[in-house]
Amino acid sequence: MKSHATCTNDEAKDEELLKVRNLKVWFPIKSGVIQRTIGYVKAVDGVDFDVVKGETLGIVGESGSGKTTLARSILRLVKPTSGEIYFKGINIVKANRRKMKEIRRHIQIIFQDPYASLDPRQTVSSILFEAMKIHGIVKSKSEALEKAVKLLETVGLSEEHLYRFPHEFSGGQRQRIAVARALAVNPTFLLLDEPTSFLDVSVQASVLNLLKDLQKDFNLTYLFITHNLAVVHHMSNRVAVMYLGKIVEIADKDSIYYDPKHPYTFQLMAAIPLPDPEAKKREVLLEGDVPSPINIPRGCRFHPRCRYATERCRKEEPQLLERDGRLVACHYEIDFPAEEVTGELTDE
Amino acid sequence: MSGQTVKTRKGEWEARLADIKYSLYLLRKNPLVMTGIAIAAFFIAVALLANVIVDPKLAYPEGYPGEMYPFDRKYMWNANHFIQWGPGISLYYGPEFFYLGTDSYGRDLLKMIILAIPLDLYYAVVITLIAAFFGTLLGAIAGYAGGVIDEIILRITDVFFAFPGLVLALVLASILERSLETLQLAIVLVWWPPYVRLMRGQVLSEKEKPYVEALRALGASHTRILFRHILLNSIFPIIVQATMDFGGVILTFSALMFLGFSPSPAIPELGNLAADGYGHIFDAPWVIIFPGLTMLIISLAFNLVGDGLRDVLDPRLRR
Amino acid sequence: MKNYLKKQGKDQPILEIRNLKLDFHTYRGEVKALNGVDLKLYPEEVLALVGESGCGKSVTALAITGLLPENASIIEGEVLFKGENLLKKSKEEMREFRMSECAIVFQDPATYLNPVLKMETQLKEAILLNKEALKKAVIAEEKGEKIGYAEFLAMKANPNEVSVKDHRVSRRKIDKMAEKLIIDILKLVKLPDPERIIQSYPHELSGGMKQRTMIAMALARRPSIFLADEITTALDVTIQAQILHLLRELRKKIATSTLMITHDLSVAAEIADRIAVMYGGNVVEVTSTRKLFRKPLHPYTQLLLRAIPNILKPVERLESIPGTVPEMINPPPGCRFNPRCPFVMEVCKGERPKLEEVEEGHEVACYLYKR
Repeated sequence: MKSHATCTNDEAKDEELLKVRNLKVWFPIKSGVIQRTIGYVKAVDGVDFDVVKGETLGIVGESGSGKTTLARSILRLVKPTSGEIYFKGINIVKANRRKMKEIRRHIQIIFQDPYASLDPRQTVSSILFEAMKIHGIVKSKSEALEKAVKLLETVGLSEEHLYRFPHEFSGGQRQRIAVARALAVNPTFLLLDEPTSFLDVSVQASVLNLLKDLQKDFNLTYLFITHNLAVVHHMSNRVAVMYLGKIVEIADKDSIYYDPKHPYTFQLMAAIPLPDPEAKKREVLLEGDVPSPINIPRGCRFHPRCRYATERCRKEEPQLLERDGRLVACHYEIDFPAEEVTGELTDE
Repeated sequence: MSGQTVKTRKGEWEARLADIKYSLYLLRKNPLVMTGIAIAAFFIAVALLANVIVDPKLAYPEGYPGEMYPFDRKYMWNANHFIQWGPGISLYYGPEFFYLGTDSYGRDLLKMIILAIPLDLYYAVVITLIAAFFGTLLGAIAGYAGGVIDEIILRITDVFFAFPGLVLALVLASILERSLETLQLAIVLVWWPPYVRLMRGQVLSEKEKPYVEALRALGASHTRILFRHILLNSIFPIIVQATMDFGGVILTFSALMFLGFSPSPAIPELGNLAADGYGHIFDAPWVIIFPGLTMLIISLAFNLVGDGLRDVLDPRLRR
Repeated sequence: MKNYLKKQGKDQPILEIRNLKLDFHTYRGEVKALNGVDLKLYPEEVLALVGESGCGKSVTALAITGLLPENASIIEGEVLFKGENLLKKSKEEMREFRMSECAIVFQDPATYLNPVLKMETQLKEAILLNKEALKKAVIAEEKGEKIGYAEFLAMKANPNEVSVKDHRVSRRKIDKMAEKLIIDILKLVKLPDPERIIQSYPHELSGGMKQRTMIAMALARRPSIFLADEITTALDVTIQAQILHLLRELRKKIATSTLMITHDLSVAAEIADRIAVMYGGNVVEVTSTRKLFRKPLHPYTQLLLRAIPNILKPVERLESIPGTVPEMINPPPGCRFNPRCPFVMEVCKGERPKLEEVEEGHEVACYLYKR
C-alpha cells in the first residue's frame, strides 16, 4: 500500500506526514426547476499521493487540472466527495469539528491572491493576534505583541508595520503577512497555493527565498501548487503532474523535466518558455484546448490530445504505477526525443 | 508593560484616523453633499436645543385635558396642561408678532415646529435603528447560513414586505392603544424587510472572498467570521441606507399622524401640525405649508447625506 | 541589427517616443508615472517591453494609443508615428489611428468582450465600419469574382475604383459578406471550426481561443503597429506556447511591427528581436534579445535575470533585489534605481542618466557606462 503512491527510493522509509488515497471531489451540476443533478464537475477524480516529512512536493497542472481544488479539499475548505486524507493518523475527511480545528493548527495555507486573502479592515496586529487567539497560542496581550513582532521580523517586515492596513502594503509584503499569520500558530505543514503568481519576478524571488529559509528553520513540510514550472523546479524535491483531476506522473524534479515518461508531462515541459534565447525552440505543440472536467474523455483522459494514442488508450484508463523509478499513468513506455525536451546550452 | 499596551491602542487609532481623514476629504469635494450635511447638522442642533429656545409648556396651554404625554425629557413639555379652544385663527398682525403665524389653537407656529423637530428626529432614529438592527441581523444569518434557514428567513421577510404600512398601522391602532409607540411599532414592522435583502446580498458576496476562506483555514469559528469580519465589511451600505431612511421614516411617520393616528391634536409633531392646517388651507395656508416644508427639507437633507456617504464609501472610488 | 535594417531601407523607426514624461493626479499627490521614456520601434521587428508592475509599460501603451485616463497629464515629450506627434492629435484622429494603423490586444479577453453579445456581433462591428468596401466586395462577388480577405483589404485601400453609388446593396448581403470575411480571418490563424466560434458567446470559448480570435482580428487588418499588452499572462503554459507559435507564424505572412508588453522575460526571449527593459518610468536598457541575456549591462537587468528561476541553471537561492519598487509620488532623485543599486555612485542621485548607445545596438541609461 505504501509503495503504491510514493517514490521508490530511500525516502519511503521516512515518515509520511500526509497520505491521500483515492480522493475525489465532485461538484454536482444542478438544473431545472427542482434542481435535479444532471452531472458532475469532477474536479479531483481519484488522486493518490504521499508527502514525506520535511520535503517539498510540487503539484503542477493547468486550468481544469484540479490542483487548486485538491489543496482546498485537504483543509476541507471544500468538501471531499470520497476518499481518505490522513494527516498524522487522523482521517481529515471524516474528522469532527474539534479534530478539524486541531488539524487546522498543524496545516496552514498561503493563498494565491495577496490582495484579497487579508481582511481589509484589520490591521496587521489584529490579523496576527486573531490567529494566536483562535488557537490559544499565547496567554497575555503582551506575550502576543512580543510574538507578533518576532513573526514580522522573521518574514522580513518590522514592528512599525504592525498598525497598518493591508492596502498600505505591496503584494509581496502582503504575502509575507500571510506567511506570518500562518506561522503564528506553529504549523508543521504548509500548503502553498500559487503563492507567487501575482507577484513580480524580483519579489517572487525574495518570497521564495523566505519560504526556503523558513522550511529549514522551522522544519516545515510543503505542498507547493503552481502552474509555473520553473518555480516548482526551484522549490520542490518531487513533482506531481495533474491532468483533468488525476495525477499522471510523480517523479523527482529533474526526472520530470529531463526525462518525462508521460506524454502530457513531455508536452508541458516542452511548452515552458526559457529565459535563454539560445535554447532551442521546441515546435512540438499540444493541439486543442485545455479540457473541461465536466466531460471527461473515456479511457485515458489525455487520449484525445495524445499523438501516441491507441485503441487501448481510448478504452482503458491507465493506473498510476511504478516504472523507471517514478510513478506514471500510461499504458506504454515512450521515449521522447531528447533534444526536444531540453534546450541546448550554448557558451558565451 | 502598560506602556506597550498604550502603544497598541495608539497605533490602532492613528491608522483608523487616517482612514477617516481620507473620507472627509472625499466628502468635501461634493458641494451638494456638503449642503445636505449642513442642513442636517442645523436640524440636529435645533433638535438638541429645542428646550432651550422654546418653553415646552407652550405646546399645552392651561387647561388641556389630554392624557399625560409620556414623552418626558428635559427639553420636552409636561402634560397636565389644558388647551383652550381659542377664538379662531390668528393672523400675522395682532398683539404679538408670529413669524410663521399661529395654528388653530393660537400657538406660535414657529415655536411648535421647533418643538416638533426633536420629536420627529427621535422617532426617526429609533425606528430606523430598530428596523436596521433586526433586518441586518436576520439578513446576515440568512446570507451566511444559506439553505433552509435562508429560505425561512426570506419567506418571513416576504410576508412583511407585502404589508401596506397604512393598513398595518390601522390594525395595530385598533388592537393596541393609539399612541406614538404603537405608530413606531407599526412603522418598524414595515421598514425592516429591505435591510434583510440588503445585508443578505452583501454577506453572500463577502462570503466568497478569499479572506473568508483564509479565516476558515485558520480555524476561525463561524460566529467569529460572521460577526467580526463579514459584518464589519458589509456594514457601510447599511449605514447609507439607514441615513437615507431617516427622511423616509419622518415622512411616513408624519403622514400617518396627519391621517389621524395622532393620539392627541396638541402634540407638537410635524404631521400633526399639518393636519391641523388641513381644514384651513384657503384661509390660513401657512399652518399646513410650514410644517410640510420642514418635513421636506429634513428629508432632503438626510437623503443628500446618505447619497454623499454612498459615494464616499464606494470602494471603487477610494484610493 | 542596424546594418541589416539599413539594407532593407528600414532603419528609420516607425514609432519613436522621445523623452515622454507623464503624471497622474491622485488624492495622495502627483504620481510621476513616466519619467522621460525613450523608445524606438523599427518596421517589421518584434520589440518586447519588459518590466515589473509599476514600471510604466502599460501606461506607455496607453499613451501611444491615446487611451489615457482623465487624470493623466503629459508633462513633456513626443510620441512620433511616421514622423507625426500622436500626442497632438484629436480624439477623432486617434480613433482613426487605432482603427487603421494600430491594433491592440489586451490581457484578459474575458473583460474586454461583451458577455451578452455573440462573438459574431462583436467581430462584425469592426468590419462593418468599412461599408463602402463591403459594398464593393458584394458587387464584385455577384459579378463572379472570388472575394477573400486579402481582396477585401485591397478594396479598402482603393476607395474610388468602382462606383458604388448607383448600386443598391441590401444590408443582408453586406452582413453576409462581413461574416464570410471573418471566417476567412479565423481560418488564417487555423482556429478549428470558425463557424461555431462566431456563433458562441464569449464565455463559451476558452481563454486561448478568445485571444487567438482577437489576435487574428487585430492582425488581419494589416496594421502598421501591433500592440500586445500582456496577452499571454492569463493563459496556461501550453496555450501560451500555442499563441507564441501563432505569432511567429503570422510574422512570416504579415509585416507588422510588434510591441510586446510583458513582465515575463522568458516570453520575451521566445519571441522578441529586441528587448527594452523598463524601471520606474524609464527605459533603462535596450538591445537585441541575445545580447540582453548574454551580456546585460544595466544593474537592474543583471539582478532581474538572476532572480528568475531557470530550469537549465538551477540555483540554491535566487537573487532578489534589495529594497522595493519606488514610490512614484516621491520617487528617488536622479536614477530611480539608485536606492537599490549595488553600484550606486554619488552622481546617480543627481540628474537622471539618459539612454545612450554604448555599444553597437546596445543602449543603456546608467552612469557606469558614460564616457
